Amino acid sequence: MASGYLVGRGVTALGIHLQHVGRNVLLTQTREKKRWMKAYTSLMERKMKLDGPPPPKPRSHQPNWDYHAEVQAFSSRLHENFSLELLKTAFVNPCYVRSEEESRRKLGLDSEAAALSLRDNTELRGRGLEFTHSFLSDWCRGNFPNLPAEAVTALVGHLTSPAVMCHVARNLAVEDLTLSSQFPVPDDVLRATFFAVVEALRESSGDESTGLFLRDFLVPELIGKDLFEVWSVVNPMGLLVEELSRRKQPLPEPRLIRSAGASTVLPLYFVGLYSDKKLLAEGPGETVLAAEEEAARVALRKLYGYTENRRPWDFSPLRQQPAPAVRALQST
Amino acid sequence: MTSRGTPSRFLQSVLQNGVGRYVCQLKRISLIFSKKAQSSLGVREFIEEGVVDFAKKNPGTVVYVSPQSCRIPKIVAEYLNGNVREETITAKSSGEVAALVQKLSEQSGLDIIRIRKPFHSNSPSIQGLWHPFTNRTPSIGPIRPQDPQAHREEGDGDMVAPSTERCSSTEQAEASA
Repeated sequence: MASGYLVGRGVTALGIHLQHVGRNVLLTQTREKKRWMKAYTSLMERKMKLDGPPPPKPRSHQPNWDYHAEVQAFSSRLHENFSLELLKTAFVNPCYVRSEEESRRKLGLDSEAAALSLRDNTELRGRGLEFTHSFLSDWCRGNFPNLPAEAVTALVGHLTSPAVMCHVARNLAVEDLTLSSQFPVPDDVLRATFFAVVEALRESSGDESTGLFLRDFLVPELIGKDLFEVWSVVNPMGLLVEELSRRKQPLPEPRLIRSAGASTVLPLYFVGLYSDKKLLAEGPGETVLAAEEEAARVALRKLYGYTENRRPWDFSPLRQQPAPAVRALQST
Repeated sequence: MTSRGTPSRFLQSVLQNGVGRYVCQLKRISLIFSKKAQSSLGVREFIEEGVVDFAKKNPGTVVYVSPQSCRIPKIVAEYLNGNVREETITAKSSGEVAALVQKLSEQSGLDIIRIRKPFHSNSPSIQGLWHPFTNRTPSIGPIRPQDPQAHREEGDGDMVAPSTERCSSTEQAEASA
């Protein structure tokens, strides 16, 4: 019986490789040791080595997957009240609908039966993008009132860039839930899905809590980032001159204030920028020009209030407005 | 192996968790056990007693209970950052399984390896890094012994020179003498 099983298995699983395996096989197989197993596994290993590892499988195609429970857990994990209908719509991408209909048509269904009655997230993602942009620029302007418009645009652009948004989305398990035609989910599809999720939250629980959601999950990506890492300024000295002339302050005068090891391979210069005989900023550099540029950047950071030792951002949760009676008591 | 040879990382969190709001990092936990085997007795007891309470207490975690014919029962925990941890729970009592599940739900999912420092700061120095020019008055050039006329003037107390320079210049003068 065992040998019969073996032959059947060899024909189905190995196909043309049967003769290689058959050479090593004892036809009087006992139950004790499966001597065909070693040949089979080594063959499979060799095949794996030639083909490479199998393509990654989406989590939804693996065992233990309940889509409804996962969506519900997603909403309560983030401590938000999503409307589940909207949230499920937000995860459906148009490319998924298209590929599903295509595969149904290939199976021989006629066009009416093949049409999926699924709403995709095309509208949601557009509105989510708008809201995210407007909220983040408001937030930047509120926290850094001195920052110019270009810097605000650069900060918002950095936060909504595909790299940052996909990093956030992947670490919030949006990728598992996204319905897309390709796997791994392409960056632009994932980013659009995240915008759709933001819009779904806005439609289910309002602008304020969506703002808090963006503040809690997108804004922390700015922690530890320098202003000029995000916003590339080619000529900081020119920008500083512009800023000072706009503020009606005298123009900056660069002065070499310290130097060390000028004739060595590691020279060091410190340039100070004086305006109205007061030291605006000083910066180090290997050459005088580099030091001057660095000093201009330091001065700009001070002017805009984006220094390293600034006050940390306020991430406190939304406080409930106290009742009028309590407020009256507090005021007295 | 010495500690230098072992893999290590710095203290960190996923997506700066806890800066804005705390998110439980365990997204999915599957209990794989056998209906008959002796080794999964404790898991079966845990499933009867505690798993519903756990699921109610952690709505952000999806709990799957899958009976299979297996000798080694295990817990598969999946984290938000994509890491998967498998823990075998052969012949563990229900209390031990409950403690393990609780522990898995409190972890961040980052690799459990040696942590180089028990603290982390995004801005290590508020005042800026110290360098030899810190707290020195602006000046150019090397520090020279001052000429005797200047000394005399200083002795009269007409001129106020930076104290550091005067100290070092007197030291140098002594050394040369």
